[in-house]
Amino acid sequence: MTVSRWMGLGAAVLVAALAGIALGTMGLSVSESWVALAGRGDPTNIFVVRELRLPRVLLAALVGAGLGLSGAALQGVLRNPLAEPYLLGVSGGAAVGAVIAVSAGLAIALVPVAAFAGAVGAVALALFVAHATHGRGDPRVLIMAGVVVGAFANAAIMIMMANADAATVRGALWWMMGSVADATWTQIWSLAAYVLVGGVALAAFGRTLDALSLGEESAAGLGIEVDRAARIVYLTASLVAAATVAAAGLVGFVGLVVPHIARRLGARGHRVLLAASALTGAFLVILADVVARIAMPPAELPLGAVTAALGVPFFLITLRRLA
Amino acid sequence: MALMRLVRARATASLFTGGFLLTRCWVLVAIAAVACGSPRSPASPVSSAVIDDFGDTIGVAQATRIVSLNPTSTEILYALGAGPKLVGRGQYDLWPDTAKRLPDLGPGIRPNVEALIAARPDLVLLYASSDNRPAARQLRGAGIRTAAFRVDSIAQFERLARLLGRLVGDSAGGALLADTVRRTLDSVRALTRQLSRPRVVLPTWEQPLIVIGGGSFLSELVTIAGGENVYDSLPSPSPTVTFEDVVRQDPDAVLLGPERGALIRLNPRWRALRAVRNGRVLIMDTSRVLRPAVRLGEGAVSLALLLHPELARR
Repeated sequence: MTVSRWMGLGAAVLVAALAGIALGTMGLSVSESWVALAGRGDPTNIFVVRELRLPRVLLAALVGAGLGLSGAALQGVLRNPLAEPYLLGVSGGAAVGAVIAVSAGLAIALVPVAAFAGAVGAVALALFVAHATHGRGDPRVLIMAGVVVGAFANAAIMIMMANADAATVRGALWWMMGSVADATWTQIWSLAAYVLVGGVALAAFGRTLDALSLGEESAAGLGIEVDRAARIVYLTASLVAAATVAAAGLVGFVGLVVPHIARRLGARGHRVLLAASALTGAFLVILADVVARIAMPPAELPLGAVTAALGVPFFLITLRRLA
Repeated sequence: MALMRLVRARATASLFTGGFLLTRCWVLVAIAAVACGSPRSPASPVSSAVIDDFGDTIGVAQATRIVSLNPTSTEILYALGAGPKLVGRGQYDLWPDTAKRLPDLGPGIRPNVEALIAARPDLVLLYASSDNRPAARQLRGAGIRTAAFRVDSIAQFERLARLLGRLVGDSAGGALLADTVRRTLDSVRALTRQLSRPRVVLPTWEQPLIVIGGGSFLSELVTIAGGENVYDSLPSPSPTVTFEDVVRQDPDAVLLGPERGALIRLNPRWRALRAVRNGRVLIMDTSRVLRPAVRLGEGAVSLALLLHPELARR
């Protein structure tokens, strides 16, 4: 990837973030938003910019970066362009956890914890199934196991929702559509830790992923413990995705589409791809959140639907150019 | 005799309704003055704080710029003559007509917090659904007094009327509103006590089949109006049931809103019910029984007349 492409990507993220800080229901001008961001002027404006908009932008960026990283790593380790955290049971497991928490009437603060536990549980189950059936982490078996665990999770959700009261259904549905509207600083810091540590860990396996893309035998020939490396990458990517889901619910399509856009931008080699995917993901989700809140004021659109609506055209253009 | 009492009940019920709420306010003030024996002191300091349904403590200082995102609290504030203090409403708060002129601040569940802050209120009233907790937290963070209340039952309506009376510096008005509604309901109850109690089912949705359960104020209202909801024992306000179970319950009448009424008449499966075959499909005036609010009394009267048309003849 050329330097100018990197700078363009960075500038796009920055512009999206500035739009996220300047745009909203409360019609502040750009200069008013800037003054408020600096902590000066009208206290209400300061609150709106620093405690409502800024956390949203940061959380959206982290969710996008996390899903982008996770998608890029999973596509690499499973050698499958359709691989993404949601396909592998992360979303299904997280949704089961969240729906159980919502219908049990648990405190709203416990829903993310339950979602995280559900996601980790589903990933562990998929790994267990894959290993039990094949003895080792064959990527095809792993993908099938993930899809099946996801289908099981869907069934569990439908059974729970069928007889739930209206408030539970609404709460669960809202969560499944994804949102960064309720962003808190605690969420931001904990997700930042996951994305940062996860990102560094995945980048450390960048060369391994590059070798894996040549095929398992070649990688083994290069002295790589393929099984162990694949398991670590798979688990790390799933954990990062689970953390994003716990913070913002299900934000669909990002994990799948972002690595492809990053490759299209010229990212070659997994370290570069991971970094470019993180930036692209951050850009896409910040932009989607801005659209979600300014498209139909004072109502908001579901973030997960907007990311898909924005991501699909990008993806189709990418495919067209590839063909 | 019965009719006289019914007419009286209706008169009290309609005290809080109709277009000229401001005029009605003066009636209220007059009644309040008589009732209390002395003119009200609007700014009387009330020391004890209020705990809302999120368990948060709400100061009771008088509010002057109120955003109400709960149709019931919007109705109550207008009935108390505090309409001019409202600076925003939820998208479905359309009663009384005057409320339609307030800025529509969007959904009452998961509201747009920025839009609320932009209205610069000193009090925001939310419905206490757990989806509203993040909004309540953010609003308090912005230094805006925020109170969330559940309003699912008649008792919760009365509590809210008294409480909002305190928050707008009109405790007597709030208490009077609650008491008036209570008295109307009591007189309807007394009127229907000796009558036969038709067993009714109240479908609100067809696919899936959802009915009114015991958790809904409408079930309470049916009891007061001299009927019996066959699903009163189910704790949920709107449980899903099977059609077969409705047939098994064999209600005397089906009670529902106008648009559902047409559906049931068109759908042949409902003819499995004796009540439907006998033409006992009763159409409620949904504008009166929409929610547990200021027009509860009116709703009870209209339901009583629907279930016991002989009341009007006597």
